[in-house]
Amino acid sequence: MDNDKYLAAVLDSQNLPEDSTELEQLRAHRAEVDALLKREFGKAHIRYGGSKAKGTLIRDAYDLDIICYFDQDDADAGKTLKDIFGHVQAVLAKQYVVQPKTSSLRLRGKDTSTLGQDFHIDVVPGRYVDASNGDCFIYQNSGEKERLKTNLDVHIQHVKDSGVLDAIRLLKLWKVRRSLRIKQFAFDLLVIKLLKEKKSASLAAQLRHVWQELWDAAGPLPVEDPANPSGNDLSKVLDAATWSELASAARNTLDSIEWFGWEQVYGPIAKISAEDRTERLRAAAATVVTPTKAWCSNA
Amino acid sequence: MKKPWHRANPSLLAKLEEDLRGPYPDLRVVVENECVHIRGSFPIFSDGLALDRYQIDVSIPNDFPDAVPTLREIGGRVPWDSNRHVNPNGQACGEACPVVPEEWLLNPKRDSILSFLNGPVRDFFLAQSLVEAGDPWPFSWRAHGFDGLYQAYGELLGTTDRACIRRYLEYLSKERIKGHWECPCGSGSKLRNCHLNEVRALQSKIPTNVAKQALQRLGQGQA
Repeated sequence: MDNDKYLAAVLDSQNLPEDSTELEQLRAHRAEVDALLKREFGKAHIRYGGSKAKGTLIRDAYDLDIICYFDQDDADAGKTLKDIFGHVQAVLAKQYVVQPKTSSLRLRGKDTSTLGQDFHIDVVPGRYVDASNGDCFIYQNSGEKERLKTNLDVHIQHVKDSGVLDAIRLLKLWKVRRSLRIKQFAFDLLVIKLLKEKKSASLAAQLRHVWQELWDAAGPLPVEDPANPSGNDLSKVLDAATWSELASAARNTLDSIEWFGWEQVYGPIAKISAEDRTERLRAAAATVVTPTKAWCSNA
Repeated sequence: MKKPWHRANPSLLAKLEEDLRGPYPDLRVVVENECVHIRGSFPIFSDGLALDRYQIDVSIPNDFPDAVPTLREIGGRVPWDSNRHVNPNGQACGEACPVVPEEWLLNPKRDSILSFLNGPVRDFFLAQSLVEAGDPWPFSWRAHGFDGLYQAYGELLGTTDRACIRRYLEYLSKERIKGHWECPCGSGSKLRNCHLNEVRALQSKIPTNVAKQALQRLGQGQA
């Protein structure tokens, strides 16, 4: 199999069909969150973003952003952005374990059977800048500025129209599998920038180009937020430490391709059914000669 | 204070990266706050195929290999449920417990992180995938909490009597054992007239630091 066919197979293996368990669960959780937010904040504008909306969803990391924006003059959820963030967090905490991130609230399971399980949903509270309901201010609970102007539609469109969605998905998979800490939003922008002149190149060439650029650059390359080019300083997100981590992983990946080939980067691909997979797992368990005995310190 | 292993011998860090590269190309070595972590996607390979993957963080203690690495499933896939052998409460929320620590410390291969990944970590996630598929946990396991610890130490020491287990561990945690001490078996006889040979044999199997750690862990339950 040539490199591009292999990469196409990797992409194919990362597709999540609409009737997949993962997406069905995601939709069920979305409906619950939606109902909770609408019950508590009747006038809030609820919309969806995240990788599904952008077309960059992968099986290894699928997520949904639930945008909960309030009108400019709506003070029901709070007067300040901080109040809104805190109020939405408190409401969600009734049903979920809520993990606050810089501007969003990650939801995890709260009942016994799902405690701590990631629901792949981020709720992003915010307030529209004006009555046009386009630009929005969101709260930032870390960094110098407490608020950030952004625009969901501009972000989604920027990625969707980039012409390099396949490369973005494969590089996201590369990033996720290595637990690289760069924020996905900034990483998408970086990849789009690096591939601006390489849209017609083969997928393998695009990926190699991105890794080579990451490795060659002396320090973080500046990227602009298309929704707020002058106001959103992404240099904090793409700082020297984050860049060094990316550069080092990029170098290792280029070495791996050189020494072992592409399969070392994304692994071998074979389509197996869920039943076959379970059978193989059972067979693998049966070959463990002296399994370690798991133990839980909590009685 | 003893230098962390990766400071005492920086070449070990490079060797760790090199060791991981072949079998686990998605796992990265990260040093954070003076502590070494292995982070990334852990595959369950069988016949060359990755049957499943889990996002993990393995924190390697500074006194490794005399202490056990800490495993976390950071992808949020496994619920924090003691029936899945993940700690549900407290600071250790989400901490996976693939093995009783002192049992691992007696493993002759404990000084290799690859052994930890290929053994307890793989067994743990293989079992998680099967449980997700609707199967029971495929291996035997330890009872939760202190019951499981007494089970494990009891098997090592050949007794189920908890007081006896503690006495044995106390003796084994001493640098020297004296024949005139009371025998830990509870007979009331002097050690030299009772189980001295057995205790000496256990000494060669269970180092003092492991016995001390076991006692400390059991002591936490009495606090």
